[in-house]
Amino acid sequence: MSDADSPHDPGVPDDEIPDDEFEPVDVFPESELDLRSGADDCYKCSTCDTNCPVAEVDDEFPGPKFQGPEQWRLKRKDDADIDPSIMDCSNCMRCDDACPSDVPLSQMHNEARAEYVDGQMSKLSVEYWRNRVLANYRKGAWLGSKFPRLTNALANNGPLRKLGEKLFGLTAEREFPAFATQTFREWWAERGGAATSKERAREARAKRGGAQVQSEDKRVAYFHGCYANYNTPEVAKAMVRTFEHFGYEIVVPEQGCSGTPMFANGMLDDARRDAETNISSFADLIDQGYDVICSCTSCSMALRQEYPELFTFEGTDDVAAHTYEALEYLRIHEDLRGALDEAEGEDEELAYHAPCHARNQGLDRQAVELFRDLDGVAVEDVGDSCSGISGTYGWKAEKYEKSMAIGEEMFEEMGEADGQTGMTECPTCAMQMEHGTGYEIRHPLELLEDALVAE
Amino acid sequence: MGATPTVLVIGGGSTGCGIARDLAMRGLSVTLVEQGNLTHGTTGRMHGLLHSGGRYAVADQASARECIQETRVLEDIASHCVEETGGLFVKRPEDSEAYFERKLRGCAECGIPTEVLSGREARQREPYLAADVDKAIAVPDGAVDPFRLCVANAASAQNHGARIETHAEVTDLLVEAGEVVGAEVTHESGPGKRTHGKAGTTEEIEADHVINATGAWAGRIGDMAGLDVNVRPSKGVMTVMNVRQVDTVINRCIPKGNADIVVPHETTCILGTTDEEVEDPEDYPEAEWEVDLMIDELSKLLPVLQEARTIRSYWGVRPLYEPPGSGTADSEDITRDFFLLDHADRDGLPGLTTIVGGKFTTYRMMAEELSDHVCDRLGVSAACRTADVPLPGSRDERVLDDAMDEFGLTSPVARRSKQRLGDRAPDVLDTDDPNPVVCSCEGVTRAELQDAIAGSGTDLNAVRIRTRASMGNCQGGFCAHAMADELHPEYDAEQASAALDDLYQERWKGQRHALWGEQLSQAMLTYALHATTMNRDEGGIAADETVDFAAFDGGTPDGD
Repeated sequence: MSDADSPHDPGVPDDEIPDDEFEPVDVFPESELDLRSGADDCYKCSTCDTNCPVAEVDDEFPGPKFQGPEQWRLKRKDDADIDPSIMDCSNCMRCDDACPSDVPLSQMHNEARAEYVDGQMSKLSVEYWRNRVLANYRKGAWLGSKFPRLTNALANNGPLRKLGEKLFGLTAEREFPAFATQTFREWWAERGGAATSKERAREARAKRGGAQVQSEDKRVAYFHGCYANYNTPEVAKAMVRTFEHFGYEIVVPEQGCSGTPMFANGMLDDARRDAETNISSFADLIDQGYDVICSCTSCSMALRQEYPELFTFEGTDDVAAHTYEALEYLRIHEDLRGALDEAEGEDEELAYHAPCHARNQGLDRQAVELFRDLDGVAVEDVGDSCSGISGTYGWKAEKYEKSMAIGEEMFEEMGEADGQTGMTECPTCAMQMEHGTGYEIRHPLELLEDALVAE
Repeated sequence: MGATPTVLVIGGGSTGCGIARDLAMRGLSVTLVEQGNLTHGTTGRMHGLLHSGGRYAVADQASARECIQETRVLEDIASHCVEETGGLFVKRPEDSEAYFERKLRGCAECGIPTEVLSGREARQREPYLAADVDKAIAVPDGAVDPFRLCVANAASAQNHGARIETHAEVTDLLVEAGEVVGAEVTHESGPGKRTHGKAGTTEEIEADHVINATGAWAGRIGDMAGLDVNVRPSKGVMTVMNVRQVDTVINRCIPKGNADIVVPHETTCILGTTDEEVEDPEDYPEAEWEVDLMIDELSKLLPVLQEARTIRSYWGVRPLYEPPGSGTADSEDITRDFFLLDHADRDGLPGLTTIVGGKFTTYRMMAEELSDHVCDRLGVSAACRTADVPLPGSRDERVLDDAMDEFGLTSPVARRSKQRLGDRAPDVLDTDDPNPVVCSCEGVTRAELQDAIAGSGTDLNAVRIRTRASMGNCQGGFCAHAMADELHPEYDAEQASAALDDLYQERWKGQRHALWGEQLSQAMLTYALHATTMNRDEGGIAADETVDFAAFDGGTPDGD
């Protein structure tokens, strides 16, 4: 103990600690949070359990009420172990939405999962490394996208996939998503980056005329996430073109993973590392009048809800308050329905699935409502079930069956819908929809681009 | 005297159970009678603090020395009832510096180890402590489960041949030829385990010596033999929080005062207390201001309490006693020391000894002293062994953690079960039948409930204190009926219903003092659930009407 820590300074007020406000709670070791008080809001009503897609198909799973408020309330400061069943939670976060009493369920789950992985999962186990690799998809994707054709060929080689399942616990049932031959960021740079965007936005504003021409406000910073960068740059490009069409200047700052797959795998240190990059990068832009736009609903969920629940970097709350999903943002600031009313869509019937994380942000009806007035396009909501893949969850060999059992209801509803094309905002829901039905799956931004942007 | 001497102990609190164990271990033939369930009186209504003695280190050093000594003993013999939380005496800026120094000195004089912490260090240990707390003294306070400790003492006494009768009220003392020779007892449902619906009986229990260990009720027992035992019952409120805001006992470092302690107890924190003299230990007002005072005053130490959820409040009655003629006006100033009243010497009535006063932490020492006295009277020379022989549940210190895996319980449930059951865990939890969690707030499984029912019959409150089932945030709303269900098939539906009614009433008694915010919502949800699923509001059909259950099974009456 250093002199500075000497206990024999009674009566000396601590200048380090502000005495007006609540201090960050640090009952549990290191960075772990004490969430016991979250149990104060729970009335044991079990609504969370009845809304949990995993509990619905797995009788062994104790459910979100146990994982959250019950487990935390039973916990002591010196208790080290977390029940292993926390790894069966898919982090769909439907419990958050279901709870009538604001119990911080997913926050409790995220913290518990991180504690479990940290303290109880062997760092030498295949499970740990499999999960670590899945959680850090961005790193693998970065490498894979350097040699996209080779990677695509290898990833979908039958015997190799079987071997992957055997040795690494990755299901051989799924086909790996293909890497784009040019990433979004490569395209963006080639196109001239922010300068080009500024130019195009200015042209669009001029064309649209009116008072908005010189508006300083039409600035957005795009959080594209990993998947739209490496796998589906067409979604990211649609975002760019649509926003420019409405006169927005776009910047694409340095960014890491949103953290969603890391939370879901209990890799909170990895998530913290990327969150620090993201928050610092976007908080600066917010100060300059930018809002943050995501095209993936799990990314926007992470920035809005999980960051402030789990991290305390400077600017965390600012980023959370200024983050929007792309369609949501346009619906708030533009007459999107009016624009679509005048537009012509291609004849298309779509079976739309609202991702759980979109549901949690109150966005589950936006696509259906939005395209209602677009001629030629019919969007049918396939119901409120979970797709079951939950990001990396359905990729794990031991979770595959569970994931498909959860998705069964959605597959059936899609089959009964008139459309033979699917639509959703979430890239992994899209994988599951395609895997279960064979349909092509589109992103609402792609539809918007088709309808509004004539290049 | 050839036959084994017989002793009747009246009172199933910590003192009575401690005496029963002590005397039974010395080979005497012991019967203990208790009017309610074990801990029914003051023992079941304390705050659960295991005193290091720090609290008495300035004003009552003799008590302080006893406390530190007995705390060390209980950590050994009752390890599964004790949580070594440590404690803090916390000083706010307006609290006396001189008293802080006196407290520190007093602890040193009594052999209580201390450590002085700066405000910052204290907050590192307990982050919810108010930001302006300027320093603290750390002492080895602990938390104790009075229910488990009392039941373990009774179980140990039984293992040594004692007879334990609960729900057995003493209605008269038997006096023959100027000597107390026993008591007349009314068994609420006959002798043996409590069985709802069974007719009551009366029994005369004779004994070579009768011990009045009824605490606040000692005056009433004294009256039965025309003796004047001047107990001055003093009530104190305890308020239970839903979760543990602190894991350390928090005392405010002031000379004396109401609302100056927070004890982490199992899954909860207990706030205490007040000190108000009352006339009748069973009939006194439970006032709202007392609860408000707890939260308002203790928020000065832990501001988070203002926002935190309260689940119930209860009152206990201290059995304070002072020798005739002391004339202390304020009940807070009455000594916490205990008194042994030998009625042969004091009143010329042999065969009866009364023990009054004292405090929970030193129950074993009191029991030892009284047992020595009784043995002396009865010519028994056996020595006390209660300080050395662990209680049932604390006998085996082997680590159970790994073994708990085999019972298929989720981690927190396994941990809490193990903590409650101690070394009895494998015996209780090893079952071939399904073992679901019945009380999910406290993590209590069917096997643990069945074990408790085997020990206490249809008394679900006795099951509750053994297991903690129904003591969590829903206060039995989601599990009380499931607990009653566990009585079947050994007991029938009417017995289970009657037992359930008793449990509900007991849970409601405390919960009604917490009806605002979340607990009000909880109570309303519980009411609605019970009304709509169990007809507990008797909305459609009166409780005593016969229900034609068959009508529910055949579809609609029209046969549609």
